[in-house]
Amino acid sequence: MIERIRNYGIVGVFGLLFVVLAFTSPSFLSLQNGANILDQSSVLLILAATTTVCIIAGIFDLSIAAVATASAIMTVNAINAVGLVGGVILGVLFGALLGLITGVAITKTNVNSFIGTLAASFTYRGLGLILAAGGLVTIENEQSAQTLRDVMEGKYLGLKGAVWIAIGFVILVGVVLAYTVWGKKVYAVGGNWQAARLAGIRSNRVLISCYVLSGIGAGVAGVIYAGRYGTGATNAYPDSYAFTAIAATVVGGVSIFGGSGAVWRGTLGILTFALIGNGLNLLGVDTTYQQTILGLLIFAAVAADQVFRRKSA
Amino acid sequence: MSASTAVVSVRDMVKTFGATRAVRGVTLEIPRGSIFGLVGENGAGKSTLAKLMAGIESPDSGVLTISGREQSLRDPHEGIKAGVSMMAQEIMLVPDATVEQNVLLGSMPRRGPFPNRKEMRRRYAELVEFTEFDLDFKAKVGSLRVADQQKVEIMRALSQDADMIIMDEPSAALTTDEVERLHHSIREIARRGSTVLLISHFLEEVLALTDHVAIMRDGDLVRVGPTSGETVDSLVASMVGRALDTDYHEPKPQADGPVRLSVSHLTRAGILDDVSFDIRQGEILGLAGLIGSGRSEIARCIFGADSFDSGEIHIDGELVRPSSPHEAIAQGMFMVPESRKEQGLVLGSSISDNLLLATHKKRSLGGWVSKRTQWAAAEKLAQSVDLRFNSVKQAVGSLSGGNQQKILFGRAAEVNPRLLIVDEPTRGVDIAAKRAIHETLEEMAASGMAVLFISSELEEVLGVCSRVLVIHRGRVQAEFKAPYDEEKVISAFFGQSGLPHD
Repeated sequence: MIERIRNYGIVGVFGLLFVVLAFTSPSFLSLQNGANILDQSSVLLILAATTTVCIIAGIFDLSIAAVATASAIMTVNAINAVGLVGGVILGVLFGALLGLITGVAITKTNVNSFIGTLAASFTYRGLGLILAAGGLVTIENEQSAQTLRDVMEGKYLGLKGAVWIAIGFVILVGVVLAYTVWGKKVYAVGGNWQAARLAGIRSNRVLISCYVLSGIGAGVAGVIYAGRYGTGATNAYPDSYAFTAIAATVVGGVSIFGGSGAVWRGTLGILTFALIGNGLNLLGVDTTYQQTILGLLIFAAVAADQVFRRKSA
Repeated sequence: MSASTAVVSVRDMVKTFGATRAVRGVTLEIPRGSIFGLVGENGAGKSTLAKLMAGIESPDSGVLTISGREQSLRDPHEGIKAGVSMMAQEIMLVPDATVEQNVLLGSMPRRGPFPNRKEMRRRYAELVEFTEFDLDFKAKVGSLRVADQQKVEIMRALSQDADMIIMDEPSAALTTDEVERLHHSIREIARRGSTVLLISHFLEEVLALTDHVAIMRDGDLVRVGPTSGETVDSLVASMVGRALDTDYHEPKPQADGPVRLSVSHLTRAGILDDVSFDIRQGEILGLAGLIGSGRSEIARCIFGADSFDSGEIHIDGELVRPSSPHEAIAQGMFMVPESRKEQGLVLGSSISDNLLLATHKKRSLGGWVSKRTQWAAAEKLAQSVDLRFNSVKQAVGSLSGGNQQKILFGRAAEVNPRLLIVDEPTRGVDIAAKRAIHETLEEMAASGMAVLFISSELEEVLGVCSRVLVIHRGRVQAEFKAPYDEEKVISAFFGQSGLPHD
């Protein structure tokens, strides 16, 4: 029973929140509001999915917001250099490349991932600054900018393109994690690095692949930014994106110790945050209080996890 | 026995973990000044009962009395204050603190708010005199070998001036002469009027040391009485609930198949020195020796887990030099590592995922795995190694030590290597599970696998292997073949050479 509460408590919290909001705020249940919630969360849904994979593997990637920012700038520069399609591909690949560099550097030197990716975050933010020549880059070809904006902002079946991209990405990552050999390896490495290695799993390679995935997610986030705004700015994604993704993953019920969890948990965590923000807005609660409430919720989730863990131990 | 002569007594103790009733209504009195043995198979509830006495766990119901006073202990600190201290089975030390600080942790002499260094030194010296343990008191505990860490645990328990000290498998990681010193200390503690509750799988040790012994099975107390009337067989019969032959099988005749593994001049500076040996197909070769002699290091070098400086390894005549376990497995090897919890299992993952850990790829379809196929495969494997389980989806952390070890053998069977290395395959495992593991190993060898068998338990090595190498200070000290002269083998442990046996 305790095990159940620990595993599915967040589903209950989410459901309760949903029902309460549905009853107290007449505009909550409208399709428009649902679409807005998803639209505001699309980038975070992507980042939370890759963050979940990293945490299951036993690592943190604090550099994702910086990588996403650098990728947004890279995407714009690349579009200006080689055209729209090539630019978008290069933008995503650039994120993957930065993830690869982070992963190789950290696993080769055995640096703690928390500190290593924190350092990477500063470095990549600096890199973004260099790529943007100190400020803002803009897609020069008006038609390319418009096409990319249409992809991201245009509505398909009631949802914006960016939302569909996020949904597709999250499902893809979730399925690959749950149903592939690679996914099994991620769980094993996060659960016991040493045992995985002695069972013939190249543990460091698995970790590097997680950093690369994290970079790809950030690259996609960069492309979304470039599409939405037609620009790449050095402040595209502040570091709070990385923190929010980690917090959502934990609130969703992924163990911070690695080895267990699932992608849907990160997704549910982000949606819970969005619901709280949206609900407080609809109820007319001053935005000043929202951060505080969110912080308390994150702490409560982690504390509850600890309490249940102790009881079931 | 009246309450006044009992240092600790429990009445109707019950403790449940989830669905498992670990202790089911145990009533027991431990006489003051005795050395009291507590035996039973793994999972019988011995450690749990002891933890209830020390305040490490709280009972669901039941009464605990220490020195005539009813107690409800909320934590180990209260247990120590009431007079019971426990040396746990798993080592619980602060790795970054020194030996001395760890020993006196929890009973740190103070001067005002500061530690009193002079007093610390004096108390530590007293303990050293008492135990004759010879450790560098300034060394960081994390840098010590397991056996030395265990000594620190023993000294800590002694430092707390307890009326009763509980020792849970204290000799499991110690060498023969360290065990002697431990036994001496235990007798000395009892002579000074304190009580020792000794939990041990080594029945000879229990018979030699204790004056009373209690036997537990499945959370119940089977019986309790003076040790003098007991034998190994009578204890085992009560532990498992049926008579079980405690002798090992007759060792197999010497293997005569072609050489499978050939190690020549394996050297790693400061650790291994010119190690050479062969193993034939179908042979189980034993590596014996003291802890720290280099047995596990030989295994890890062959398996690619550690690197070595020089030497050659051939498998079926082919030169190999694995730089990682991944490569070693590709070359036909597999290893069941020394510590199942740290190196073997992913404790939070399921039985199925653990069994298939090394072979997910083999069981996949272009990288995709089907859970159903996996569960079916895991189920078959689990049965083949005689695993006791409810569902292959359950986490391995919930299994007993013996069953956890069987999972590692299931994993090895699935890999089906040409050379299998097993390092301490039965440490902390009960007799029935041990027997099952030996049978699995013999089956594997009979199928043509070459097995390198490492164990600290001499009887086991001699019972399972038809040929044994004794390792001493990183060298092959001597080679013995069945039938063995046990004394000669043991003297090789301590570097006695010049025994040209065969």
